[in-house]
Amino acid sequence: MTGRRDRPPRGDRLIALFLLALVLFNPPLLQAFGAPGFLFGWPALMLYIFGVWLAVIALLALAVERQPPDERSADEGQG
Amino acid sequence: MPASLVAAASFAYLFLLFAIAWGADRLADRGRSVIATPYVYALSLGVFCTTWTFYGSVGRASTLGIGFLPVYLGPTLVMTLGYLVIAKILRIAKRQRSTSIADFIAARYGKSQLLGGMVAAIAVFGVTPYIALQLKAVSISFDLLAGTDPTGLGTGPHAAILGDKAFYVALLMAAFAIVFGTRSIDAAEHHQGMVAAVAFESVVKLLSFLAVGIMVVWGIHDGFGDLFERTASSPAVARLLTAEPALGDGSWITVTLLSMAAIVCLPRQFQLMIVENVRESHLRRALWLFPLYMLLINLFVLPVAVAGLMLFPAGSVDPDMFVLALPLSQGWKALALFAFVGGLSAATSMIIVETVALSTMVSNDLVIPALLRLNLLKLDRHPDLTRLLLTIRRTAILTILLMGYGYFRFAGSAYALGAIGLISFAAVAQFAPALIGGIFWSGGTRRGALSGLIAGISAWTYTLLLPSFARSGWLDPGFLSDGPGGMELLRPYALFGLQGLDPLSHALFWSMALNVGLYVAVSLFDRPSIGERVQANAFVDVFRMTERATAASSSWRGSTTVGELIALVGRFLGPQRAEQAFAGLARGGSVDLRRDRQATAELVRFGERLMAGAIGAASARVALASAVRGGEVTMPELLRMLDETSQVLEYSRQLEQKSAELERTSVALRAANEKLLELDRLKDDFLSTVTHELRTPLTSIRAFAEILHDNPDIEPDQAREFLHLIIKESERLTRLINQVLDMAKIEAGEIDWNIETVDLGEILREATATTAQVFKDKGIALEAHIPDTVPPVRGDHDRLTQVAMNLLSNAAKFTPGGSGRVVVRVEHVSDVEHVGDGVKVTVSDNGPGITPKDAEIVFDKFRQVGNTMTDKPQGTGLGLAICKRIVEHLGGRIWVESSLGHGATFAFVIPADSTISSPATAPNGAYLPANADD
Repeated sequence: MTGRRDRPPRGDRLIALFLLALVLFNPPLLQAFGAPGFLFGWPALMLYIFGVWLAVIALLALAVERQPPDERSADEGQG
Repeated sequence: MPASLVAAASFAYLFLLFAIAWGADRLADRGRSVIATPYVYALSLGVFCTTWTFYGSVGRASTLGIGFLPVYLGPTLVMTLGYLVIAKILRIAKRQRSTSIADFIAARYGKSQLLGGMVAAIAVFGVTPYIALQLKAVSISFDLLAGTDPTGLGTGPHAAILGDKAFYVALLMAAFAIVFGTRSIDAAEHHQGMVAAVAFESVVKLLSFLAVGIMVVWGIHDGFGDLFERTASSPAVARLLTAEPALGDGSWITVTLLSMAAIVCLPRQFQLMIVENVRESHLRRALWLFPLYMLLINLFVLPVAVAGLMLFPAGSVDPDMFVLALPLSQGWKALALFAFVGGLSAATSMIIVETVALSTMVSNDLVIPALLRLNLLKLDRHPDLTRLLLTIRRTAILTILLMGYGYFRFAGSAYALGAIGLISFAAVAQFAPALIGGIFWSGGTRRGALSGLIAGISAWTYTLLLPSFARSGWLDPGFLSDGPGGMELLRPYALFGLQGLDPLSHALFWSMALNVGLYVAVSLFDRPSIGERVQANAFVDVFRMTERATAASSSWRGSTTVGELIALVGRFLGPQRAEQAFAGLARGGSVDLRRDRQATAELVRFGERLMAGAIGAASARVALASAVRGGEVTMPELLRMLDETSQVLEYSRQLEQKSAELERTSVALRAANEKLLELDRLKDDFLSTVTHELRTPLTSIRAFAEILHDNPDIEPDQAREFLHLIIKESERLTRLINQVLDMAKIEAGEIDWNIETVDLGEILREATATTAQVFKDKGIALEAHIPDTVPPVRGDHDRLTQVAMNLLSNAAKFTPGGSGRVVVRVEHVSDVEHVGDGVKVTVSDNGPGITPKDAEIVFDKFRQVGNTMTDKPQGTGLGLAICKRIVEHLGGRIWVESSLGHGATFAFVIPADSTISSPATAPNGAYLPANADD
């Protein structure tokens, strides 16, 4: 469990994700989606904020859980 | 619902928590840890969601719409950077055995007791009211459920203390924290039972809130579509579904920033995220599971708020209590009880962890340093202080909880309590510059951190805390509207005339501007002590340092004995534990543990680390300093150590260079080796081919000789013919051997080249004359077109003759008799590829010719064109190969032009002798030697 698996994921991707989330979670875009209106029976704003929140979490999960293929095979050996 | 039932359910639930924690601790004692998984770790982080989330989010949502969300979006943002920030804090805290955020910050800035004490004091000051808020939520929700206060708008506690549920909850929580939070004297160890219980509570509060949400959406209404459609009839509610209330408040960004700081700086978050972390790799999964948890628990907040607002007439029920009031209004008592238990979970988990974290800070960073300073511990008289330490910590727990309860009694319904959530966040956010700056900027100093912290917390007190007191009626309201003593410039919500911001953003701006500004400015002009600088590097460069190097950052000039050291550590950890720890170290290596020996620097460091886990880094240093004679290393000693370190660094840099060189060399060697192997293979091929070629004539010679020998009465004619064949084969053999030798000599570079200016025309004339008889015998017409004057070339006369003879005899061999015709041509050419100006010799025949494919290989060794299996070999297979080597040695080129059935033209060019001034006019045979001494 030590060694390769503990190697941190790529910092540049995480910083990019942070900046993306910063833009998505803040007023200019919220304002844009914040007008009264419904999408699929949901308020557009609620759909938007929970949608992008979930997307950011999914991208974060991908970024921190995914390893380069060569490392994955090494890990599988360790069960 | 009868109050007794609610009380029974609450206490049953709390005892369940005790059972879970007790079970987890028992398992841990037997070596099985239930908290050693990323899932429990992620769930335990859910302690972030207190009753402020469970009840308060709905309340906030009913005035702010989605404005309740930044509190959770901020932490999500921090998690995206978790691998750059939290992972680093984790590694450092493990190396330093940090027991709390106060301990961590103190250790970073030279193990400063003052800084640690300040952080601890601010944390207690800023967070204890938050505990009061949890107690209030429990009390109000209890009253609402029991029916004593169906509005939830309760005006604070009305029962006597002994009749107040919140008092018993507080006492039970204190008992829990004492039992499971101070089991071990080593605060850096994990509180397995506590973490397991907190993770369990996270599950309960999530399920409970989801249950309420689902019932509200699908029980009371017909799903989301129905719920949201109905908002159309109420403009005030419909407005909540837009961005206007959330952004109109103006605090969206401020709350995001505050919660970003809080997720790391809140004592309970630091406790669970850093101190209780079992393995660093657990962070990986928790980084996204924790935001997912927050998303799920917030999913139904807005729908519940909207449903509550539409169901209850305005002002009849506190929106904060919608989570309970909605199920009750539908008569779903079980669900209401479950919701109450969820709220209780949120409250108790926060109270437990916060109390344990705060008590560790209070004892390690406030009480013990004070006792050490005042020399009240009488270190030399008490062999075992562990009981005292645990008593201090337990007293701290009880005190903090009673303080929280007291605040709740005193300020139960005041504005100051309701607003304390964000005010707490703003207080602990003051740690962020020193914390984050401390792990990324080695230039941050103790004095910088101290001044930033003091300025920041002062600004916070003036612009946020005092106004909250004023609004609660404890201060003259004129303080808010007119400023202190009527000085308008100092109005706390518009300090120095800064207007247009909401109070929170205003406070955040001033406190952070002062905090960060002073931290950076003072640090830039400060000269930190060596010890502080070393500690700064141990933090900032933690990933580049080995554990040993980090440990070496605190160095003691040992002048104490091993016995004294173990006794000192034993006072704080218990003699038995200390003995075990040192024995464990001795088992690992060659450590001398004889009592009267001088303690090595390594041993002293080990002792300091052990004590740091129990009483904090700053206190451990003071305790050690009082016992180790000579104290910390002096400046010159440290400089010498630094020098040694840099020498070691230089040495390792050189080693790196050496190894890079070695690698390059080994690559070159590998290439050379491959080439040698290839040559070896070629040599083997050559040998086997030569042997084969030699065997063929030898076999015939031997066969004919045996016939002659075995048949003495053979016909003379026949015998002569056989002898003739033997002679011919011998000649072939000799030729072959000569050629092999030639070839070998050329290839080995051993041949003696007799380079001079030669006339190729002359050579060809001689060669055609010599071979004329062969052509005549075979009936082949031989034509020679050789001009009288040919530019001289530089070459070896004999070798060039050999080339010419070879080409001619080849032509004779492959041209059929009778109709055969061979043309020899010598001419002056210019612009030949790779050669330039030169003399070209061509020998053309009208024989069978060779295919273009064969034309490529005909000059290789032992390559005879045609099927070697069926055709009798007509040459040695070396002639053309030798020609090629001779021509190329002389700087020329040899090739063949041919197509099957149209004869073949062999040609070679030797470059003209450029040193001859005018070759064209040179008379036939009269050469001008290039150099007299050539």
